[in-house]
Amino acid sequence: MAAAPYVLVVDDEESMRDSCAQILAKMGCRVEAAADGESGLRLVRESRPDAVIVDLKMPGIGGLEVLDEVRLLDPRIVTVVITGYATVDAAVEAMKRGAYDFLPKPFTPDELRLIIARALERRHLALEAEALRREKKLLEDNVITLVSHQLRSPLVAVQQYFEVLLAGMAGPLEEKPREMIQRAGERLAGLMGLINDWLDLARIDQGGLVRKLKLVDVRAVIDKLLEFLSPLSAEHGAVLAWVDRPEQPVTVLGDEASLEQVLANILHNAVVYNKPGGRVEARVGEEEGYVKVEVSDTGIGIAAEHMPFIFDQFYRVSRGEGTKTKGSGLGLAIAKKIVEAHGGRIDVSSVPGEGTVFTVRLPKAGSDPLPPADSPG
Amino acid sequence: MTKTPATILVIDDDPDFRLAVTAILASAGHKVIAASGPEEGKARLLADRPDLVLLDIMMDSLFDGYALCHAVKTSEEFAAARETPILFVSAVKDIAGARFGFGEGGEGLSAPDDYLDKPVKPEDLLARVERFLAK
Repeated sequence: MAAAPYVLVVDDEESMRDSCAQILAKMGCRVEAAADGESGLRLVRESRPDAVIVDLKMPGIGGLEVLDEVRLLDPRIVTVVITGYATVDAAVEAMKRGAYDFLPKPFTPDELRLIIARALERRHLALEAEALRREKKLLEDNVITLVSHQLRSPLVAVQQYFEVLLAGMAGPLEEKPREMIQRAGERLAGLMGLINDWLDLARIDQGGLVRKLKLVDVRAVIDKLLEFLSPLSAEHGAVLAWVDRPEQPVTVLGDEASLEQVLANILHNAVVYNKPGGRVEARVGEEEGYVKVEVSDTGIGIAAEHMPFIFDQFYRVSRGEGTKTKGSGLGLAIAKKIVEAHGGRIDVSSVPGEGTVFTVRLPKAGSDPLPPADSPG
Repeated sequence: MTKTPATILVIDDDPDFRLAVTAILASAGHKVIAASGPEEGKARLLADRPDLVLLDIMMDSLFDGYALCHAVKTSEEFAAARETPILFVSAVKDIAGARFGFGEGGEGLSAPDDYLDKPVKPEDLLARVERFLAK
């Protein structure tokens, strides 16, 4: 059974407090009363009423200030004002400050009952809607987790068998079967990557990223990635380096793991789409309100006809004849979503045959988000 | 062959995973007890007193790996098996760390002694097992 609605009456007139309390108690409400704004607000803070009835004209803290304070404390508390001079101005001002309704003095018990019943109903609906929203969110989050589990489990079981076979733990393995299992394992890993990318996208779409933002040092992230990618760049015969590495940490407000994912993707692309002996350079600068990260390469570039689509899901640019394009085709789509979820933007410019520059702008902590990027170009 | 053969309880609802992991552990001379779910795992843990538990996180039950691990570490029922090291083995990467974290966002569940991502590398698994048994 639901608890009795709890109503607080704040009025400096004792007779008004008493009669309100009587009427409300008869409605089945639990009632507290306060003789001035200060003690009223103390009660709001301590005991969080469902509804507050407040007289606009009181000595000390006035009714409007009480309204402001209540709204700050908990916007879900419904407020009704009592006004002695039933001027439209006072009522409008009170409603502007978040009051649900007003009662001009003198009022009848029926009028009070009606307005309070409506106010409580309104609060009830608002709370219910909020609970439903929360539940829906939780359900969606769980669906992704469950789907993720269902999709991955069979693949993981197959991969696990491959690991056992390749380790020779199910008996000796000859060279040919070993090679085939090895290749099968690689294809499976590719599929797993695709599923993971796809689930990442679903999670970002649900706003699952921006819930736990922290200060992230972009310089440190790039330091780490340059080190991590140095074997790969050596393999591709490319040089991967800072240009003007900042002397101080450069911080943005964000989700570290996903920002790392964005920069890793861009740097990785810059290395593998490079020419032998090419360069990949990372620059970090601060522009008004945002941190700008630039990754430039001296690679094959992106032809103009591909430019409008490179952030699209599953869009892939072939690296030219004889090379097989790996990856899910989701990397840049994910990068774009992550950056935009941070209130930033990602842009690209390219000269075919000469190289490509990816620019990521992330708002500095506390600044306004940027408008979404125009079509890249 | 390993220096210290041990009894290891594998709790996982995937029969293929149990079979594959059993092959890995058996190759090092360990004795494996397999359980197909948390309830069976709980019974085996109390009856057979293994030296180590490999525990899957997401199983088709509300009483999942998290819950079992938390129960072993905190509940009176498991007092006798409290010291048994628990190694989470799970493919649910991103939530594995989140739920047993004690920091913000964590649900205050008791942490396992260690965890490995699926699929496990045979040499990784054997090295971890060895490390726990040495303690």
